Amino acid sequence: MLRFAVLAVAVLATGSASAETLTIGINATLSGAGAVFGEGMALAATNFADEVNAKGGLKIGGKSYTIELKKYDDRYRAQDAVTAMERLILEDKVKYVVGPMGSASTLATQARTNGDQILTLTMAFTPKALSPQLPFSFRPAITTAEFTGPQLAWLGKTLALKRVRALAPNDETGQSVAASQKEAYAAIGVNLEVDFFERERVDFIPILTRALAQTDALEIGGNSPTTAGLLVKQARELGYKGPIFVTGGDVTAELVKVAGKQAAEGVYVHLPIDISKPETAGYIKAFEAKFKQPANGHNLFIYSGLQMLTAAMQKAGTVDDTAKVAKELQGLANFPTVLGTAGWTGDKRYGIDHQIDVPFYVGQIKDGVVAKVATCSVTACN
Amino acid sequence: MSMETILAQTVVNGLMVGMIYMLMAIGFTMVFGIMRIVNFAHGEFYMVGAFMFAIFYGSYEVPFALSLLLAIVTTALVGLVMERLVFSRFRGNELNGMIASVGVALIMQNAALLIWGPSPRSVPAVVSGVISFGGIVFPWSRVVVIIGALIAVGLLYVLIAHTQLGRAMRAVAQDAEIALAQGIRVEVIFPLAFVLGVALAALAGALMAPVLSVSPFVGLAPTLKAFVIVVIGGLGSVPGAVAGGLLIGLIESFAGTFMSAALAEILQFIVVIAVVLLRPQGLLGRKEREA
Repeated sequence: MLRFAVLAVAVLATGSASAETLTIGINATLSGAGAVFGEGMALAATNFADEVNAKGGLKIGGKSYTIELKKYDDRYRAQDAVTAMERLILEDKVKYVVGPMGSASTLATQARTNGDQILTLTMAFTPKALSPQLPFSFRPAITTAEFTGPQLAWLGKTLALKRVRALAPNDETGQSVAASQKEAYAAIGVNLEVDFFERERVDFIPILTRALAQTDALEIGGNSPTTAGLLVKQARELGYKGPIFVTGGDVTAELVKVAGKQAAEGVYVHLPIDISKPETAGYIKAFEAKFKQPANGHNLFIYSGLQMLTAAMQKAGTVDDTAKVAKELQGLANFPTVLGTAGWTGDKRYGIDHQIDVPFYVGQIKDGVVAKVATCSVTACN
Repeated sequence: MSMETILAQTVVNGLMVGMIYMLMAIGFTMVFGIMRIVNFAHGEFYMVGAFMFAIFYGSYEVPFALSLLLAIVTTALVGLVMERLVFSRFRGNELNGMIASVGVALIMQNAALLIWGPSPRSVPAVVSGVISFGGIVFPWSRVVVIIGALIAVGLLYVLIAHTQLGRAMRAVAQDAEIALAQGIRVEVIFPLAFVLGVALAALAGALMAPVLSVSPFVGLAPTLKAFVIVVIGGLGSVPGAVAGGLLIGLIESFAGTFMSAALAEILQFIVVIAVVLLRPQGLLGRKEREA
C-alpha cells in the first residue's frame, strides 16, 4: 500500500513537473472588412491547439506542453497591431505569434519581433515581410509575388488580353499587390492600369463606370473578400460580361456569398488549396463540422505553418530557444501538412528561405464553386 | 462606351446613390431639427435595418414588402428604446448629445458584432438584371432602391406638409416652448420624430442590403455621408437634405468616374468647407436668430 502511494505521488510529481504551457499569440484582424481572413487564422490556431491538447499536449524535450492562445485584434491597422504585439510580448510573454496578417501591420511590428527573437508566422503579402535581416519572420502563405507571374502567364495565354484594369485598396497591402501585378502583367505584354480607393468603400459604381469602358478584363486581386464580392456584383450590375481575375488571396467562398452565384460565374481565382487531396479534404471536413463555417486559405496556411512550427520545436528540443527553433523550421523539407508536402523557398527573391513552398492552382467559379483549371508552381502553371 | 454615354451613366449613378444619401440625411436632419441632437448613431440604425431585412428576407424568406415593413418596425422599436434610455436625456444639449450618440453607435456596432459576427452577410437579390436605354445601364436592383426612396420621401412630404402631426413637428422644430404653449404635446413629438428618423435609416439599410452586403460595420460610411450632406444642406433642413444628398451623389459619381476615388472624397470635403465658410447655415438652412 505504501509502495503504491509512493508510486502515485511520484507519478503526480513527475506529471506536474512536465506539464507546461506553450503560449502562442495571435495578432490578426478579427473585425472589419478583413475579419474573414483573421478569423480563419485564429480558428486554425484554435483547432490546432484543441487537437494537440486533446492528445495530451506537445512532447518537446521530455516535457509535455499544453497550447494556450492569446488573441488580439489589430482591426487591420498598423498602430493596433503594434499595441497587440507589445501586449503579447510584455504581458503574455509569448515567443511565437500567428500573424500579423496585413502588410502594414507586419512592417510596423517586424523590427520589434525580430529584435526580441519572437518567431512570427506572418501572412503579409508585402515582399518586405521577408529578408535576411528578419530571421524570425516566416510566411506560411503563397503570396502574389509567388503566384501572380505563373498564373497570369497562363491566363494571358488562354485569353487574348491587351489591357487590364485593376481596382485595389489604397494602403500598403493594396499598393504592394498592385506593384507585383503591374510587373507580372508587363512580363506577359499586358498594360495594367490601377485605380486605388479607400479600403472602407462599398459603392464602386463610379470607378467601375470608367474602368470597365477601357479594359479587356478586370483584376480585383488584393481586395478583402467582401470588397471583391461587391466589385464583382457591381461590375455585373453595370452589364459587364468580360473576364474578372482575382489574382490575390483566397476569397472565393465569401466572394460567392456576397456577389451571388450568378454574378460570380466564370470569375478566375487564385486557388491556394486543392480539395481533391485527401489530407486537405479531411481537414476541411473536420473543421467545417466543428466550427460550422468554411475553412479558407488563410486557415489552412496557418494550420500548416503550426504543423511545421511545432515539428521544428520538437526537432530543436526546446520552446525557449527561438533561434534554434527557427533554424530547424527553415530546414524542414518534404514535410507532410494539410496542404500536402511543404518546405521553404524564397532565397532567390527575398534572400532567405522563409517562404512556404507548396503547389497552388488557378480556379474558375462555376455554379458557386471553384473548379481547378491549372496546377502551378513558382515557375509555371500547367 | 462613348463619352456621352459615360456622362449620362455618371449622372444616373450619381442620382441613384444620391437617393440613398438623401434618405439617410433626412432622418439625420429631422432628429437634429426637432431634438437638437447630432445623432452619430444614425448609421447604426441603417445597419440594424439592413440586418433585420437580411434575417426576414434572406433567412426566413418572408416576402419582400413584408420584410421591409418588419425591418422598419423592429428597428424603430430599437430606436424608441434608445430614445427613451439615452437621447431623451440630451434634448437641446448638442455637445453632450453628440458624445452620447457616439457612445450609442459604438455599443450598437459591437453588440451587432457579438450577435451576428464579423462576416459579411449576403442578401438575395430582390430583382436581377439590367435595363438599358441607349447604352445607359440601370441595374434593376438599384431601380427598386430609387422607387422605395421616392415613395418614402413622398409619404414623408405628405406627413410633414399636410397632416396635423407634421405641423406639430414643424412647430416643435421652430420653437419647442412656443409649441408647448400652443398645446402641442412636445413629449410625444420628440420620440415620434426620433423614431421616424430611425425608420428612414432602417428603410435605407433594408433597401441597400440586397445591393451591398450586410455587416456590423456598414453604418459608419452612411453616417459620415449624412453628416456631410446636412452640413451642406443646412442642419435641420429637410429640403436641404434632399438637395445635399443629390449634390453629394453627383459629386461622388463625377469625381469617382473622371478623377480618382481619393479625389472624390477630397472634393466632398472641399465643398463642405466652402459651404461652412461662405454660408454657415447651409444651402437651404435658416440662420440662427440672435438672442
